[in-house]
Amino acid sequence: MTTAFSEPALSRRATTPRFDFTSQRRLSPYLFLAPYLLLFGVFLMIPAVIGVFASFTDWSISGTPHFIGLSNYQTILNDPLFRQSLGNTLYFVAITAVPLIMVGLLLALLVNQNLRGRNLIRTLIFLPYVVSISVVGIIWVWILDRTFGLLNFYLSPLGIRPAIGWLTDVNAAMPALAVTTVWWTVNANMIIYLAGLQDIPEELYEAARIDGANRWQVFRFITIPMLLPVNAFVIPTTVIACWRVFGQAFVMTKGGPQGRTFVIAQYIYQTAFQNFRMGQAAAAAVILLLLTLLFTVVQLRAMKVL
Amino acid sequence: MAARFATRARQPALPPLLTSILVSRAFLYGMMFTVGIIWGAPLLWMVITSLKPPEEIFAYPVNWLPHAPTLSYYVGVFQRFPMLLWFRNSMIVATITTSLTLVVDTLAAYPLARLQFRGRRVILLVILSTFLLPREILLVPLFLGLSRLGISDSYFSLSVPAAANAFGVFLLTQFFGTLPAELEDAATIDGCTRLGFLWRIVVPLSRPALASVAIFTFVGSWNEFFWPLIVTNTDKTRTVPVGLSALVASAGMSTSFGITMAAAGVATLPAVIFFLILQRYFVRGIATTGLK
Repeated sequence: MTTAFSEPALSRRATTPRFDFTSQRRLSPYLFLAPYLLLFGVFLMIPAVIGVFASFTDWSISGTPHFIGLSNYQTILNDPLFRQSLGNTLYFVAITAVPLIMVGLLLALLVNQNLRGRNLIRTLIFLPYVVSISVVGIIWVWILDRTFGLLNFYLSPLGIRPAIGWLTDVNAAMPALAVTTVWWTVNANMIIYLAGLQDIPEELYEAARIDGANRWQVFRFITIPMLLPVNAFVIPTTVIACWRVFGQAFVMTKGGPQGRTFVIAQYIYQTAFQNFRMGQAAAAAVILLLLTLLFTVVQLRAMKVL
Repeated sequence: MAARFATRARQPALPPLLTSILVSRAFLYGMMFTVGIIWGAPLLWMVITSLKPPEEIFAYPVNWLPHAPTLSYYVGVFQRFPMLLWFRNSMIVATITTSLTLVVDTLAAYPLARLQFRGRRVILLVILSTFLLPREILLVPLFLGLSRLGISDSYFSLSVPAAANAFGVFLLTQFFGTLPAELEDAATIDGCTRLGFLWRIVVPLSRPALASVAIFTFVGSWNEFFWPLIVTNTDKTRTVPVGLSALVASAGMSTSFGITMAAAGVATLPAVIFFLILQRYFVRGIATTGLK
């Protein structure tokens, strides 16, 4: 990776240094990129392509896979368990993504205020970011425990009886996972919104104030539009992350009660790595991919970004 | 934003306005207090529970101060479970992932940010588009490929595939692009090669960005759950998150909150210390990737 400037006189092809110069200069960007692109290709692009192909085969843990057309899709779409996981995941996305975005923005607005102690609050909200889902799951299973949990203890004076088994009640389990998820991951959105808020030029607020805008009008007509680029990132990535939910359900409810928190990722896990029906698992993953893609395109269209 | 108005609008001898400012301040402090409780209490409760003797854990009403605090659950965690081995595994895996990521991402981000060449935009676009790719699509092919090679349950499969990540390349490309072009001209005139320029000029100037990438990659690897759950079969390779979930399964979550809380506490402590020391890099890393 030497250039023409490095000892051209010693080069045997010193008679054509100009040629050397250009060819090496032209080549080197690709040399720099090579190690990353190698990893990227081997562990990301190629597996992704194979993953799509695998969904059209009867691949199991051993033996030669055969092409079987769309039959994996037919099988899983007729599988009540997969249908349930689709519905459950959609429900999770609906009740988790919206709070993750709204609460993220509200928290950012709050800790952006010039208040004493805001750094402590920022740190507290951010702490769960460095905690794995196993730990989060362990903590929240304890807090949400029906008999001895902290939540029910503080809810009981409010007259919520009989005590709710947050993770064992068929209607409460998914909302409980949603709350846990917001607590765990809203911090990333908060930080991104905070950076977005701080990037909005002060002059805009001043101009609005001179024009006599009230707080709500300033928020509605300056803050929200100026956050569009931030939203174009936060909203799709949040929704995708929600579609991919796995650890919360796996650690806290194992998909129960009565399969009410059984999600697509867990279906993939179970189908591929417990039942070894790789083709069907790949088909489920492709459906997950298509769903996230569809949702992303719709959102970006709605925000007129795409 | 409201605060900016509040401070600017604060003028002497305007009692109604002053009242409204005080009320809104009180409201904001109330909100902040509530938020602090919601995010602080669960972690605190984990620590407190882990220090309580069994009869106090299930005491009613709830008490926040253990009468007879004990460390016996912490001893139990290390005696009954290979906690140190899980830590070692997590440490090795996260270190390999982070080092590899730093090297390949730095090399890749340099031409993407600073050189003109054919295919630059396409390569950048393809790399960035993987932000939107649910990784579940990779699980089956990666697992089958690695097990065919007989290395699915290894440090290699826990660390190297994770380095094929777009985050670091994106962040570094953004950052390298902000360095002035004159630097490169000056270095070239002084006879510096591109690699020399990258190593001697770009890398030292990009320490904050590199630190962000390192920290995020490390924490991401440390907390990764799904992939290690799939590939690890024994404690020899199990990382902390997967070990913990095995611990919960074997200890029985609903009967032994003491030991599970102690285990969770042990797993949390290094991460929290790490975070408190390096907090500003976290914030900067998220802010940069989310924007621009």
